[in-house]
Amino acid sequence: MPTKDGENYIIVVEHINKSFANGVKAVVDFTTRVKRGEVLVVIGPSGSGKSTFLRCLNGLEEIDSGTIVIDGIPLNDNKKNRLEIRKEVGMVFQLFNLFPHMTVLENVNLAQRRVRKKSREAATAMSMDLLKKVGITEKADNYPNQLSGGQQQRVAIARALAMMPKVMLFDEATSALDPEMIGEVLDVMKDLAREGMTMICVTHEMGFAQEVSDRVIFMEDGKIVEVGTAQHFFTAPVEERTKLFLSQIL
Amino acid sequence: MTAAGPWIAKAYNFLKRIKAFDILSYALIVLGLFWFVISGAEKQGYFWQWYRIPSYLYEFENNSFTAGPILQGLQVTLKIVGISLVLTYIFGLVTALMRLSNSAGARTVARFYLESTRNTPLLVQLYFVYFIVAPVLNIDRLSAAVLALSLFEGAYASEIYRAGIVSINRGQWEAAYSLGLNNFNMYKDIILPQALRRILPPLTGQAISLIKDSSLVSVIAVYEMTMQANAIVAETFLVFEVYFTIAAVYLLITVSLSQLVSYMERRMKIV
Repeated sequence: MPTKDGENYIIVVEHINKSFANGVKAVVDFTTRVKRGEVLVVIGPSGSGKSTFLRCLNGLEEIDSGTIVIDGIPLNDNKKNRLEIRKEVGMVFQLFNLFPHMTVLENVNLAQRRVRKKSREAATAMSMDLLKKVGITEKADNYPNQLSGGQQQRVAIARALAMMPKVMLFDEATSALDPEMIGEVLDVMKDLAREGMTMICVTHEMGFAQEVSDRVIFMEDGKIVEVGTAQHFFTAPVEERTKLFLSQIL
Repeated sequence: MTAAGPWIAKAYNFLKRIKAFDILSYALIVLGLFWFVISGAEKQGYFWQWYRIPSYLYEFENNSFTAGPILQGLQVTLKIVGISLVLTYIFGLVTALMRLSNSAGARTVARFYLESTRNTPLLVQLYFVYFIVAPVLNIDRLSAAVLALSLFEGAYASEIYRAGIVSINRGQWEAAYSLGLNNFNMYKDIILPQALRRILPPLTGQAISLIKDSSLVSVIAVYEMTMQANAIVAETFLVFEVYFTIAAVYLLITVSLSQLVSYMERRMKIV
């Protein structure tokens, strides 16, 4: 496009709605804009639609109405646009979803080779850099099930980064981890945030939110209930629902 | 412990390791079956002439061995099975992908092929392909047999593929999708390698069915092993000897195939 907004905002979401076949309205008239380099944290009780919102952003879920524009590219029925957006948006899942039949290195190499059409050498060089960044170079030739949960999630982050995405989505990236492994994954995410990556994180880690996020959205029943900085949520939440939720997770 | 103790234990372990006890009990069962069949035939006053069988397996002329009719038939059987197996796996995969595709047309075509093939007898399909399809496509007897067999087994194989593909965790599809892989690479690199590992045993079962079902193509006079056996029986009335012999040959092929696949399975298993 790029419109005036497109230049300032890398993600423009306007009035999106998403219902599931069973009638549950997961996302209701949701509007938000994300600036380049912004770190947005989405919190909310389970079933509030935060994961669904995240999954709409790279087309894993089809929206029923509304518009999503990422880096000037509208996410619509145009297959080329969708593919372009999937390349620009990296995603990290709660359950890692590494490819179990491939080594760590092959996991990180795959998209570079198939999508970016790099040579094996070029892909491997970049993969090793990324694995170094997430601190697991020594496991490059291991299979995912030989790694701990925290290590697997760090590989998953490296795998997503290998596409050189402009946006990273984190869908409860630390929720499935043992407590002692949460820190190592959050550290990688914090580094990424400080390097200026645009990130949207669905998480309950308020410490993380306070340290690196620019904005926090509290969602319930598919709607935005309250928006503010992490500090705002710690010190002066306005809505009763927000207070109740925070009292449960903090 | 006595001096003999460790020796006996060692021998016992050795026998156990080479599966001697399994082999022994298997041999006993087979012997029992043989006794059953032989005494059955004797009750009918059957006159066994096993000594005549080797001459149908091989011939010894001018100081060199040549294949007798049964082994010549075996060559044809192996040729039919080899080509049909490749085609079966291709038909099966294509049909499974069509059934899983977004196109309603592709799904309908696949469904029609699947149901019409699985729900009619192979014998009828053989006649259909030989008398109706083959003249139209202008193909010979052997090709007609291969086509009919692989269409039939392919229908079953497609359901095996489909089960394997849909058994792959949704997270794998989502991860492949979010990395920007296209459909072809998603199947080739992520889904099929994992699915194939899971469906290797039932696909082997399908291959074994194919080997046995290949004996049916004798009805359109393809001179594979069963057809050769039929011809020998018609000539000599060595009913039991000839049919038992070819049954043993089929058994030999299918068992070696199973062994090969279980070896592959062990090698493919990761951790």
